Amino acid sequence: MDRQKGRKAFIALCVSPAVILFTIFMVIPTFNVFKMSLYKWGGYSANKTFVGLKNFETLFKDMKFMQAFQNTILLIVLVSIITFALALIFAGILSREKIKGQNFFRVVFYIPNILSVVIISAIFSAIYDANNGMLNSLLSLFRGAGKEPIYWLGDQKIVIFSLAAAMIWQAIGYYMVMYMASMASIPESLYECANLEGASRIKQFFSITIPLIWTNIRTTLTFFIISSINLSFLFVKAMTSGGPDGSTEVFLSYMYKQAYTNSSYGYGMAIGVVVFLFSFALSAIVNAVTKRELLEF
Amino acid sequence: MKKVLSIILVLTMAVSLFVACGNSNSTAASSQAPASSETPTATIKVAALESAYGTDIWTEVCAAFEAKTGIKVELTTDKNLEDVIGAGMKAGDYPDVVHLATGRPAALTETLIKENGLEDLTDVLSMTVPGESVKVSDKIAGGFTESSLTNPYSDGKTYMAPMFYSPCGLFYNAGLFTEKGWTVPTTWDEMWELGDKAKAEGIALFAYPTAGYFDAFFYALLYEVGGADFFTKATNYAEGIWDTPEAQQAFEIVAKLASYTEKSVPSNANNDNYLKNQQLILDNKALFMPNGTWVTGEMADAPRADGFEWGFTALPAVKEGGDAYSFTWFEQLWVPAAAENKDAAKQFVAYMYSDEAAAIFAKGGAIQPIVGFADTLEGENKMFYGIYDNGAKAALGGFAATDPVEGVNFADTVFGTVNSLVSGDKTVDQWVEAIKADSDLLRAALK
Repeated sequence: MDRQKGRKAFIALCVSPAVILFTIFMVIPTFNVFKMSLYKWGGYSANKTFVGLKNFETLFKDMKFMQAFQNTILLIVLVSIITFALALIFAGILSREKIKGQNFFRVVFYIPNILSVVIISAIFSAIYDANNGMLNSLLSLFRGAGKEPIYWLGDQKIVIFSLAAAMIWQAIGYYMVMYMASMASIPESLYECANLEGASRIKQFFSITIPLIWTNIRTTLTFFIISSINLSFLFVKAMTSGGPDGSTEVFLSYMYKQAYTNSSYGYGMAIGVVVFLFSFALSAIVNAVTKRELLEF
Repeated sequence: MKKVLSIILVLTMAVSLFVACGNSNSTAASSQAPASSETPTATIKVAALESAYGTDIWTEVCAAFEAKTGIKVELTTDKNLEDVIGAGMKAGDYPDVVHLATGRPAALTETLIKENGLEDLTDVLSMTVPGESVKVSDKIAGGFTESSLTNPYSDGKTYMAPMFYSPCGLFYNAGLFTEKGWTVPTTWDEMWELGDKAKAEGIALFAYPTAGYFDAFFYALLYEVGGADFFTKATNYAEGIWDTPEAQQAFEIVAKLASYTEKSVPSNANNDNYLKNQQLILDNKALFMPNGTWVTGEMADAPRADGFEWGFTALPAVKEGGDAYSFTWFEQLWVPAAAENKDAAKQFVAYMYSDEAAAIFAKGGAIQPIVGFADTLEGENKMFYGIYDNGAKAALGGFAATDPVEGVNFADTVFGTVNSLVSGDKTVDQWVEAIKADSDLLRAALK
């Protein structure tokens, strides 16, 4: 019994540093975000006024917030689906097919991950440049010279898709490597057997590869949601500053604008609460929907 | 057994909560600490924004101030000053003097204005400049301590000291005008004529770095259409002011200018790519851009068309013989209300207007608003700062300070929408409606 007691005490001792740090750096700040969202406060002075749920009331009538909400959802959906599909296809090809320069492609696909978002933004700003950017120069081959250029970052109907393209380009390599890692652990014998039975490569991909890396796919879906929300802020900051005229404003850039530029820290925290709940809920839904019986090999 | 573990866990949580409380207590304590009595050996903390003028001017001025008064200066400069001092300020560690203008994205200065976090500097005006026998108020050029940029609450009290000023107006390539035989328009009608002429040659009339640069432009325009009274009413969100014929005229001019703007401008009208828009002037792809005198330094290394020469003019007048205005943009220096060494800090503020300090600042290109100082300038600066001697009137001020209104960013509404006017995503009516709606909300929150 005593030994048991000592063991428990020892475990508690070992766990406590992590628990303390987690509490100080995660639990308390999160709790504070929720608390601050109920106040009207500029961020620096001691005069905080408790306003209850008024910040949320304003928030749901704020059309600019709704626009940021729409943009964020569009980015999450678009970036997740396209990145997911491409990363999966590339991973399938690179790990199952014998093609020349396999290692070269692995490296090339992964490079965007090593670059910082600011550099990627600079590259894409140059590509998208209306007057002498690469994209318009290329397109002018087909459209004929002298036509009005396409304003990739200036046309409010296009600009959010331009951002999405940069985000997809940046993300593919990372997820591809993750999928390849789990594909590598699928026993070769399953594919040999499928070959003997006459299953096509595509059939093998959908019936063997995907079911066997399903746990991995589920994990990455959560990653997609979180990283789309976080990265979209960086891309927006470095490429468009939320412009032109707020058309690329996303959750976090709008939150920053309200909390700092508009001196409404409490309101910014209310946006933070909504983002927190939204990403939590979305991840939970995605997790629940993708629940399958675990296949093992 | 489980109990022991959970008790320990609960305890750690409780303890860490107390830790958090302890922090905030000390915050309150230090922010309410009374100004300690100054000894000659006091040390003040000065935080200054590193801008296009560089940091050397600040190191030199601080050294000169130390030599003159014996007060030690701890200097912090950074391009993102808010990030450096902001966290400390939240924890109650305030600098004694801060040089940080309004209008920055992080809006630290605006936040302190809205939260009454600035020290009243009115008494500095009657102080004697250290090392000289003149009062500060006699040295600061007229009008500079009367606008809402220094007296944010319109109560006659000065909370921010005016620093480096810069006339804002329209910049152009004077070489191109000579080459084509064009004259710089003095009225907006001439401006539109010139726009059509330039269009025929494939040059756009107008470009702007970012829509935010319309602030100086729009303020000057408000002065032009309605004079000082109208400007004060408009910037204080007076009821119905945006329906007046004067305001309508201003909106029409901006909208018409938007139709004459180079089409690629909104694509680059953000903090990262605005130099591309400024480059349009250097490449003779657009004629005019609204800007401040710092632009020549900013574009010093940029490639340019043959025969390029900077030209600078005030806004054209709205009618023949009308007043032309040039907005005077200036930076601000302030003392946080929670600063510890306020008296020494005020001496530092007063010293900023000494001839010695002004000369050091001028070496870096920063010009202090000191009476008669503009006459001593030479070269390009002489042309820029001489604009008020050449018939243009000075426009000073800005939108009045309000309590923060959640979700309303008036600068975005008024200036940011210009991007949509250029691209055609919004009409003038939608723009004016949005301004009126926000104006109503802000009027209710006026300080």
